[in-house]
Amino acid sequence: MIGILDVDIGNLRSLSNAVYSLGYDFRMVSEPSQFEALSHLLIPGVGAYGTAMQRIEERGVRAAIVEFAATGAPVLGICLGMQILSSWGEEGGRCEGLGIVPGRVVPLDPGNGLTLPHVGWNTARFSSVHPVLHQVKTERDFYFVHSYHFVCEDARHAIATCDYGQSFNAIVASRNVLGFQFHPEKSQTNGLKLLENFCAWNGRC
Amino acid sequence: MLKKRIIPLQLLLNGRLVKTVRFGEYRDVGDPVQSSKVYSDQDADELVFLNIDRAQRSIDSLVVLLDRVAEACFMPLALGGGIRTVADAEWLIRSGADKVVINSAAYREPELLSRISARFGRQAVIASIDVRRSAERYDLYSDCGRVLESVSLEAHIAAVVAHGAGEILINSIDRDGTMQGYDIELIRLVTERVAVPVIACGGAGNYDHMKDAFILTKVSALACGSLFNFGDNNPIRAKAFLTNYQIPFKVI
Amino acid sequence: MLKRCAKCGLPETYETIEFDDRQVCNICRQKDYKDSEIDWDARKRLLGSLIEEYRGKHDYDCLIPFSGGKDSTYTLNYLVREYRVKPLVIQFNHGFMRSNLNLNNERTFKKLGVDVLSFTPNWKLVKRLMKEALIRKGDFCWHCHTGIFAYPMHVAIKYNVPLIFWGEPSSEYTAYYDYRDNEIEQVDETRFNRFVNLGITAQDMEGMIKHDFELDPRDLTPYTYPKIRDLKKIGFRSVCLGSYIPWDVRRNVDEIKRDLGWQGDRVENMPFEYWPYEKIECYMQGVRDYIKWLKRGYSRVTQMAALDIRNERMTRDKADELVNRYEGRRPPSLDLFLEYLEIDEKEFNRIVEQTVIPPHRPDFIRIVPGDKTDDFGQWFREKA
Repeated sequence: MIGILDVDIGNLRSLSNAVYSLGYDFRMVSEPSQFEALSHLLIPGVGAYGTAMQRIEERGVRAAIVEFAATGAPVLGICLGMQILSSWGEEGGRCEGLGIVPGRVVPLDPGNGLTLPHVGWNTARFSSVHPVLHQVKTERDFYFVHSYHFVCEDARHAIATCDYGQSFNAIVASRNVLGFQFHPEKSQTNGLKLLENFCAWNGRC
Repeated sequence: MLKKRIIPLQLLLNGRLVKTVRFGEYRDVGDPVQSSKVYSDQDADELVFLNIDRAQRSIDSLVVLLDRVAEACFMPLALGGGIRTVADAEWLIRSGADKVVINSAAYREPELLSRISARFGRQAVIASIDVRRSAERYDLYSDCGRVLESVSLEAHIAAVVAHGAGEILINSIDRDGTMQGYDIELIRLVTERVAVPVIACGGAGNYDHMKDAFILTKVSALACGSLFNFGDNNPIRAKAFLTNYQIPFKVI
Repeated sequence: MLKRCAKCGLPETYETIEFDDRQVCNICRQKDYKDSEIDWDARKRLLGSLIEEYRGKHDYDCLIPFSGGKDSTYTLNYLVREYRVKPLVIQFNHGFMRSNLNLNNERTFKKLGVDVLSFTPNWKLVKRLMKEALIRKGDFCWHCHTGIFAYPMHVAIKYNVPLIFWGEPSSEYTAYYDYRDNEIEQVDETRFNRFVNLGITAQDMEGMIKHDFELDPRDLTPYTYPKIRDLKKIGFRSVCLGSYIPWDVRRNVDEIKRDLGWQGDRVENMPFEYWPYEKIECYMQGVRDYIKWLKRGYSRVTQMAALDIRNERMTRDKADELVNRYEGRRPPSLDLFLEYLEIDEKEFNRIVEQTVIPPHRPDFIRIVPGDKTDDFGQWFREKA
């Protein structure tokens, strides 16, 4: 059973529809007791780092998420969901994250007259292999919407990059935990393939 | 580098897609949900749905449609037509819209744009502007091309951007449905004045027209209506043609 | 003057064509790749393991959609003889089956010993669909394109037979899928929407015809692709045999002639001596080719010649000669077509003119009549 975290930090419709159309069953989880039956956890998110962490605390699911990740079951953070996997984020003042993938989230600084947020189709360049990247080619485009980016403490966790005035991490991966900065549920065929690979993954590399 | 976009423009009337000529003369062009799926499979980059039903201005029908489209289409979706309040926008966004398109309300109540963008981010707000050319100037129209607005094009685009619009959709009523080519001068005028991405609409009849718009202006995206509905054309072929001129599109 | 591939002669109006800096088209380039870069041994091994993965697990080992043309006949023959699969053969009867085709099929099915299901859709609906498709896209074969690819998927779900084998990969003819991507082409809904259904789904059609045609929504089910979730749940794999073995049309035809006594047939406005085996399954083929000629400025002879040039079986000069002699004639079957659609030739020309692909400009004045085939008298007439 695929779990999708639902603590009012983003639109879940497209993501749950995607999982469903790929032939998987899912449930929304918003409290600790619901994590038990899950085989996988998806953490979607749109908005501000601080707000997201606040909602997670309010619902009391912070520990449940961290513990679930510790069991070795596959976890995928999407967009803001990826960012909050980090140790801390800078948006609106320093805010502590889930601390599952060591790193920090800081503003994009593209320069060159490029505006923020970074919105649109841009190219993800894979730098490592990973089970979830199976049959998805490198140098393909995905849909991005963000103004901040994830800087990894451990360079080995950065497995794909993207360029928007500066280079930043498009995918981070640490053992059974994965993060996509782009929206796979908005990235058509390749996005769906990544989601399908994730849902079929057992969390082992 | 961000890629250029091709955006099928889908006009909704009574639950079906229609196409217009100069904002009149409706022709049925298909089922919006399936059409969206087809466009998605044909490499379209984004979909824009506009409710042009004069009688039924509430966004209920848009939400119903969105529910069904979001079941089968996994790509950026923008919806508009009759959005008057933040609650309208919120409902659409929570139902799966990535962006809302606002036209008439922006003349009367530009703060609406600020409130929506403050809530959901600039990228969620597209200001749509419909334009007819008169002798020496461009006239702006609201209410599906019916009401002449007094504000100038230059002033209005500045205002919407200042109020938080993340993108502008500039539509030539004169060229709509004619398949005679985009109004290049109009597009240039807008793209040169704003830093936000501009989507141009109205007039695409063949791939050459699209090539001209991409090469001669800084437009970020081109919206097409008639081109893909009448004649054996689709986004795949448009991109194959345009790629031969080094215009960058997403690679799947 | 249309820009043409320097090698095979296909013009710029050919769908998906792109020319490189030597003005050689992408279809020629991907053929080069097919010959030299693809590890066909590895592909064949993949085929073997694919078949074993599904063998014996359901009521049939696989589904084979079948028209009786050279490609599907070869596919059925190959899989049954080489791999001894137990297939369910699915035939979609588009309404224009020729007598030679029916004889071929009977011979094929009886020699191979296979179970066959045949489906014939509602003729009245077919006529209305043909007309709408002609008007919208200048291609009246919508019901056939969609029926052939969607209907078997419904059967796969209903009968729970998830492995489906099609014939030639589309990269033989177009660049929607490119051999150079070195991938197994998935014959799925995305492919269906990309180029099979002309961009029109059954739901689109429903709205387009229901104002003047009495329609039950279920009438369009055979033309509707089933939901992806239903296909995913049976673990479907829908692939082309030609992704696993190198497709060679002339070799394939020799094999089915030898193994099954398969016979070619004359087709309107095609030189029988050169291509006796192409598009023999449908007696509306002549009209199809004629419309292509009017729309795009080339037709079946050009296409077949291009394939032979690419395979170094014909010279460009010979090709040009055949094109001049055979292409662009008015087929006798056009009379039947006008009868089915209840329109006259003037209306037909007007409709087709709307869908012409620039920069081509058709000539509606100088019309040269083409020859009848032997079975013309057997083709269905609405008026007795």
